[in-house]
Amino acid sequence: MAGSSSVLEDDSSYSSVDRTLEKLEKFMCLLSGFAIFSLMILAVVSVGGRNTIDQPLPGYVDFIEQVLPIIAFLGISYTQREGGHIRMDILVGRLKGRMLWLAEFITVFFMLVLMVLLVWGSFEHFLRAFNWDAPLWSNDSSVDLNIPLWPAKLLVPVSFSVICIRLVWQLIGYARAFKSGELNPVGLPLPKSAAEQAAEEAQSVSGAEVDKEIN
Amino acid sequence: MEPIEIGILVSCGLLVMVVLGMRVAFAAGLAGLIGLIWIFWSKKGYDPSAFIWALTVATKTAGQVPHSKITTNALSLIPTFILIGYLAYHAGLTKALFEAAKRWVGWLPGGLAVSTVFATAGFAAVSGASVATSAVFARIAIPEMLKVGYDKRFAAGVVAAGGTLASLIPPSAILVIYAIIVEQDVGRLLLAGFLPGAFSAVIYGGLIVVMALVIRNFGPPVGGYSWKDRLVSLPPTFPIVFVVLIIISFIYNPFGGDSWGTPTEGGALGAFVVFCIAMIKGMKWGQLKEALIESAKLSVMIFTIIWGVLIYVRFLGFADLPNAFADWITSLTFSPLVILICILLAYAILGMFMDAIGMLLLTLPVVYPAVMALNGGESVSAADSAFGLSGAECAIWFGILVVKMAELCLITPPIGLNCFVVAGVREDISVQDVFRGASPFFVADALTIAGLVAFPGIVLFLPRLLLG
Repeated sequence: MAGSSSVLEDDSSYSSVDRTLEKLEKFMCLLSGFAIFSLMILAVVSVGGRNTIDQPLPGYVDFIEQVLPIIAFLGISYTQREGGHIRMDILVGRLKGRMLWLAEFITVFFMLVLMVLLVWGSFEHFLRAFNWDAPLWSNDSSVDLNIPLWPAKLLVPVSFSVICIRLVWQLIGYARAFKSGELNPVGLPLPKSAAEQAAEEAQSVSGAEVDKEIN
Repeated sequence: MEPIEIGILVSCGLLVMVVLGMRVAFAAGLAGLIGLIWIFWSKKGYDPSAFIWALTVATKTAGQVPHSKITTNALSLIPTFILIGYLAYHAGLTKALFEAAKRWVGWLPGGLAVSTVFATAGFAAVSGASVATSAVFARIAIPEMLKVGYDKRFAAGVVAAGGTLASLIPPSAILVIYAIIVEQDVGRLLLAGFLPGAFSAVIYGGLIVVMALVIRNFGPPVGGYSWKDRLVSLPPTFPIVFVVLIIISFIYNPFGGDSWGTPTEGGALGAFVVFCIAMIKGMKWGQLKEALIESAKLSVMIFTIIWGVLIYVRFLGFADLPNAFADWITSLTFSPLVILICILLAYAILGMFMDAIGMLLLTLPVVYPAVMALNGGESVSAADSAFGLSGAECAIWFGILVVKMAELCLITPPIGLNCFVVAGVREDISVQDVFRGASPFFVADALTIAGLVAFPGIVLFLPRLLLG
């Protein structure tokens, strides 16, 4: 089972759309990274406040409830672009060329079906919390601080819409690759062997810092 | 068609999608959604005009799962634990650990290999990721072992196996995931992982000492360190001790009274400590940004599987499949222990082809209720149970067992990822060599699991002692 893979780029129009979309996706993913960072800071403030001035951060739990959806959903499309959602590749890892692109097309198509339906379903979930006429448009708010819940719920269909665009673009890419039969199409995550993936993993975690320590 | 038959058919469909290489999270979500549509539609007798109704109800049911299930407070532990791991590399803790371990236990037969095991165990305390632990130590420990004459296959095997210790010693992301899926207390599970993790490290160490005594030219002890040398090697490792202590004291207060906070706060505070050290060691903005993006990617991957599987679980509830499976398991005439061992063996086989998180999330919704039923139910008392454990204790014990099982698969062919990683770092060592070098540890792990099955007290000692 593998996660990561590499995406080739060139100056074709297909690749340029891919890279434009990637900019948005990467920005969303970075926001999600900052949300993780804020979890850390919030805890320090909360614990510090409680133990030094006996004043815990009010609504700490409410904040976590708001921050978690940012972490859980915003990066979903970027992770798909990079091929980071895990799968079992013992079978697809053996396919090459047209057969591989056909298999990818089918699985991505099913993913798209799911995500389109979930955009609808999660939007309905958002609508139940949202009300034009209520204060802060909110039907439903957090327990301690009364923060409206609808913005966090809206994040879900928004993130899911972005991954739908990504999936449509990947479907077009796989269809093109199937037609041309090329081996290394641009703009698509290329499956890697366990060894390639491992080498990359090792590279990413043992960067300059470790080298410096060893030498 | 009965709901239970729909449940079985859809589950088989899910299996086919996963084998065909569909991303696990989405395959589970789709199986759940299709299953819900099917069950609702079947209730209306497959009336064509009712299909849209079934589709709408199913989609609305599935659509609320991602947001509502993700906002569980305990889930915030996962991103913080992942962040700790990424920042730990920049905090330069690995070399310090290896150096300290070498000075303290290097004099044992096979001393450098034993040091490697203890250093990986220590690093596991700040890194929840087995694969990363192996990658880092392949660069630090293997060259030193080769220098004093260890067999390169064995040196590589030690590092690959040592990496597997990461998943039990807190902070462990995989134990948090288990706790959430089976709805058990996260703090108890994290505490429970500590002794089995340490126990595994001791078994590994003991195995190396025995091999060094039996096999000729195995690798010399490294001695000559004074007590002063040993003592000065300790302070650089304190951050790791500190992180572990913080996380534990947020589960259990060593000074009596209430704990200092929740495990979620402990995890976040631990991340903050490692972050400060990394900043002191000169981490650049670019490296921090990279660490944040990588943590976000890994977190979203895990969260996506969680909500995907939970949509599937919602459907399983309607289909009543877990209950039916549990009834079947308890109706078997074999002893509960034999059945449990069979389940663990099935995990060993499955783990050869699937990654640990995907495997556990996909199987636990069905397997966990069955194991609980085997023991006598969720709320059974220790006296009436099959394994002599109360329901809650059995949940913890089984969690540690399956996670250890999943880890074991990181060093078994054909896709034991840790071995691939070590071979990826060391171009002079082939994957086959690493698998061969790691094989003694496979035996050690089998013994460890047998020990944990026979003596659940090893798993439950700390939670019982500290949390009652």
